[in-house]
Amino acid sequence: MTTATTTEALVSGRRAPASVHRRRRPHKEAWGAWTLMLPYLVLLLVGGLVPIVYALYTSVQKSPTLLEPNKTGFGGLAAYVKVISDFRFAQSFKDIFSVLVIWLPIMIVAIVGLALLVHASPGRFGSIMRFIYYIPGALGGVANLMLWVYLLNPSQSPIAGVLHGLGFTTIKQVVATPGDLAVILAAMLLLQGLGQWVVTVNGGLNSLPDDVLEAASLDGANAWQLAWHVKLPMIRQWIGYAALLNLAYGFQLFLEPYLLNQVAAGALPSEYAPTQLGYWFAFVGSDFPAAAAMSIIIVIITLAIGLVVVFRSGLFSVEEI
Amino acid sequence: MSAMTSRPPRAPGAGAVRRWDAGRIARIAFMSVVALTFLYPLVGFLTVALSTDNGVAAGTGGFLGLGGISLAGIQHSWGQIIAYGGSDTPHVYLTWIGNTLFVAIGGGILALLAALPTGYALARLRFRGKKLILVITLLAMVMPNTVFVIPLFLEVNAVNAVGKLWPVAVIMGFFPFGVYLSYIHFRTAMPFELVEAARIDGLGEIAIFQRIALPISKQAVALVAFFSFVANWTNFFLPLALLTSSFGTQTISVGIQSLISSSPLFNPTTAAGLSVKLYMPELALATVVSTVPLLIVFIVAQRFLIRGQTLGAVKG
Repeated sequence: MTTATTTEALVSGRRAPASVHRRRRPHKEAWGAWTLMLPYLVLLLVGGLVPIVYALYTSVQKSPTLLEPNKTGFGGLAAYVKVISDFRFAQSFKDIFSVLVIWLPIMIVAIVGLALLVHASPGRFGSIMRFIYYIPGALGGVANLMLWVYLLNPSQSPIAGVLHGLGFTTIKQVVATPGDLAVILAAMLLLQGLGQWVVTVNGGLNSLPDDVLEAASLDGANAWQLAWHVKLPMIRQWIGYAALLNLAYGFQLFLEPYLLNQVAAGALPSEYAPTQLGYWFAFVGSDFPAAAAMSIIIVIITLAIGLVVVFRSGLFSVEEI
Repeated sequence: MSAMTSRPPRAPGAGAVRRWDAGRIARIAFMSVVALTFLYPLVGFLTVALSTDNGVAAGTGGFLGLGGISLAGIQHSWGQIIAYGGSDTPHVYLTWIGNTLFVAIGGGILALLAALPTGYALARLRFRGKKLILVITLLAMVMPNTVFVIPLFLEVNAVNAVGKLWPVAVIMGFFPFGVYLSYIHFRTAMPFELVEAARIDGLGEIAIFQRIALPISKQAVALVAFFSFVANWTNFFLPLALLTSSFGTQTISVGIQSLISSSPLFNPTTAAGLSVKLYMPELALATVVSTVPLLIVFIVAQRFLIRGQTLGAVKG
């Protein structure tokens, strides 16, 4: 291919083509770009922007009542007032916070530590370890929950001795004893998320330039110094990324408290997390304006975290583009 | 692992790393302990999936119940899982697996078709509005996808498509993380000079993507396909909100929820009315079987997850 040969010459040469680059007709490039992005833009509208706009619209409609189940029309901020003044609203955010406080610090240290250890173990041992760490994450979602049902059920748990020692005889007791749920959820999120993030951060470590790492070991750095003084600063962005994404992830907690409540035969609050409260409004309360208002509130919170990630963390060089 | 062996041999002096010093022993010991902690419950869970109801309930079988594994147990459990579903939706477990394959693969293909060209355009083309698209994509990527579920439900409900599988697949096709992965890939694996050279050779913008960018995007394809498939397969809240109304069009994650709520272990009242008895071995086996596709995908994608050949080539 002629293109390839030209390209190789250019890549190996100095930065000659910069001037050519500048003089390029921009409208042709822009047309090409928008054409290439067309499928994505359609999906972005259908899967992201339209639902948000429609939810905004729905959230300012009147809520249906028992007497008038088909009531419609502009309702102002009534749905928001209803949601925020609901007794479960503030509690659901406190619940999430109590999980995050336990889970997030352990999670970040474990991700970085294991990723560095895997990276310091080239060859078969490292890849086997990475694979094993990944397996619980691969279980994902419901499967991870089933694993925990098995672990937490004193009647057949492999840690039944511990559970009996704590005085538990049924899984309902284990889950529904006050204060237990936050710890259990934190442990579930840790086991589930750790492997995938180790793979991700390890990928970041693998993309570090070999020459820098080799130079450091030539200078006499041992494995520990290499990890702490060279690799860790170089994957700073990945660590920040992992921290903030996992923080935002806390707000999407739904499956675990929702299903643990089923396992505990309804002994848990069915609106533990904010997303569960939104679900309740939509599917139990049949109050779409309130469900929309609840989800707009969660969107705004996660959007705020997102804006911090994108603009303030220095993870994404948006300003350079 | 090809990526590992292609790594240049370590510089002289680095031979010291091979020695069995204290640090090396500590590292290997620690990593092994963590691995065993991860494996212990998993092996136990797998054992339960392969044992009989009575054996698990009685706690016989010794260490992690390994002695309780029995072919008869597996056959019985699988029979119960397959029998679940009733007359309207027979073998509903298999239907759920089929539905999940449909939305996970369909969503994955859409995600690939959208992510690769967009990632390339954002990384290597200059146009007005690029920053806006990138920022929206990053925000959508960082925001947890369950926050969109209720709005998505309202949207799908407005077009009367609740209970159908295709809206789930289409929505799963919106995968901003895939766009970001592709964007990073083309920024690192494809120098500007490559694009310039192709232009000098007279290729149009679309042709450059098809003939230069696509052939070196194997790594991005593998990553986007892998992450999207896993996310789609394990997605719970979206199919729960969009598909609960119809038993036969659920995905496996929502289906397993139905299994849990039909188990005499957790819901004796409902379970009493069913001929199928789902105890822990049945639930565990249904779960284990449902994760097989994920493990296959991981094993296939593993070498790409480690390091891209193209990334290595550009780094030189």
